[in-house]
Formats: sequence, structure tokens, C-alpha cells
Amino acid sequence: MNTERTNQEWLHDLNASGAIQEAAIADLRDLLLRAALYFFSRNLSDFERNNGDEISQRAEDCAQDALIAVMNHLSDFRGDSKFTTWAYKFAINIALMAARRERWKGVSLDALASSSEGDFLGPMLQDHSNGAAPEEAAMQGEVRRIIQDVIKHDLTDKQRDVISMVVFNEVPLDEVVRHFGTNRNAVYKMLHDARRKIKSSLQEHGFEIGEMLGLFGSSG
Amino acid sequence: MKSNRFERWLHNIHNTQDEELSCSECFDLVSHFVEVELSGTDPVVKMPEVKQHLDQCPACRAEYETLRDFQRLENEGKLPSVDDLQDLIH
Repeated sequence: MNTERTNQEWLHDLNASGAIQEAAIADLRDLLLRAALYFFSRNLSDFERNNGDEISQRAEDCAQDALIAVMNHLSDFRGDSKFTTWAYKFAINIALMAARRERWKGVSLDALASSSEGDFLGPMLQDHSNGAAPEEAAMQGEVRRIIQDVIKHDLTDKQRDVISMVVFNEVPLDEVVRHFGTNRNAVYKMLHDARRKIKSSLQEHGFEIGEMLGLFGSSG
Repeated sequence: MKSNRFERWLHNIHNTQDEELSCSECFDLVSHFVEVELSGTDPVVKMPEVKQHLDQCPACRAEYETLRDFQRLENEGKLPSVDDLQDLIH
């Protein structure tokens, strides 16, 4: 196997025909398979219900999908990294989605979405409200109230659901994407818009982040 | 655990920018970001917007960390073979 190609050689060989292209594709596929297996080997907890052969097959599938993605995007490669670095990211991206899918298979995300009522932050903060000095506890309560008000009144139902899933229940972004039939950019934008609104509201109420992090026990 | 999650979120809220890269934009740039980092240059200086997104997005961050570590192995001539990796998952 020749993994020592320069970027230009990779592009030349992959765009060639016949034996040259076949060899380059075989080499690339081997590298993409290694990238997928490497991701899986670091995330075995996502595969608690799978045996080694099944994980191995998932990696093969990811490598094949990544190979297709790389070939379809060859013209996008700008040469600002090694070709292989650029190609690996496709395999790793596809492997991450596959791994998270395995982990969350069978979990009802509807149950992890929010309702428009209720105390969103209560479960997250109850550990910290115990033992705080009265003044601190009051400020914690104020921060909590402000954040909760924004979530309740300034976010859309969908934004609330996404916050509940991703922030409060640590559902992977790609599972939320799958649940809503959307894409990563759209979910990220919902989270970004929600953060902006909360940040703005906290600032309007005179809270600085250092103060808040101190309140909730973080050293920053 | 739960309070750590909340603290992380407060950090994320604090570090929120009016304009942030989308996940697709981050995906386009992350291989360059890794290349800069592995060359010994601080990528945050050159590409702060990528670092900002990686700090906010756990999915993109997980991909970046894997890409960086995998590419580092390749640069060091230590890329594991398919057989080595198969052994790890079996």
C-alpha cells in the first residue's frame, strides 16, 4: 500500500482511471477504515449492545460511505492540509453519527423533550442549592429565574425541546438532528440563538459571568 | 455531574458570540485547524472562530479531537493497522 502520496499525487491518482485509480481508492479506503475503527475504539461505550463483528461491520460501512463522500467532494479540497487529514474527517464524521445512533437506538427522545411548563433547571441545580450562604442562594435563585424566564417565554417550542435534549439530557446533536429530520447546522443555530437570548437577558439584569460561575461553584 | 453540566452551559452562554461558525463551516476548516496545530503553531491565534465553535459544539469537538489524535499518529509513523484496531474492538 502506498500511503506516502503527496496531495497532488492523491488527486491525480484518484482522478485517474484503470489500475492507478483502483490502487488509490483501495489505499484510501484502507485509511478511512482505520479512521472509523479508531473512532469506534475510543467510543466503545456506544456499542454496549454490539459484538466485535458487528462493530467491525459498522466500520466497514462507514469507510464505504466516507469513500463515496470523499470522491464526491474531491473538487472541494483546497490543499490547506494534508489530503489524508481532509479525507479522515469524512470517515470520523460518519463514524461518530453511527456510534451515537447505536448508543441511542430505542431511546424515546420525545420523553426527553421539554414541556412548556415546569422547572427546567431544578434538577440541574438541586445539588448546588444545598449549603449555599443565604445571599448566594438568593442570587442563584435569581440567575435561575432569569434563565428559566427566557426559556419559557422567549424561546420557540422547538428551541425548548432542543435545549432540553442537548443541554439537560445530553442527547447527541446528531440524534436530535435525526429526531427532527433536520441538519446539524439548524440544531446548532437553535442552541446558539437560545444562548444569545439568555446571555443578553442575564447582562440586562446586571449579572457578569464570573459572578455567576462563582455562584455555582466553578473556578472558571 | 448535573451541576457540572450546568456550569459548562454557563461557560457556553458566556462565550456566546453574535456570529458563530455553523457546523458545516467548522467541518470545512477543521482539517486546516488540525494541520496548524500539529505544525506547532497555536491554531487559536490563526483561527479563533474554529476554536470558538469547537468549544460550543460537542459533536464537532469529538470529531476534531479524534482527527487531531489520528493525524498525529500518522505524522509519527504510528498509525495502527486495521488488524491492530480490530483487536481493540473485539
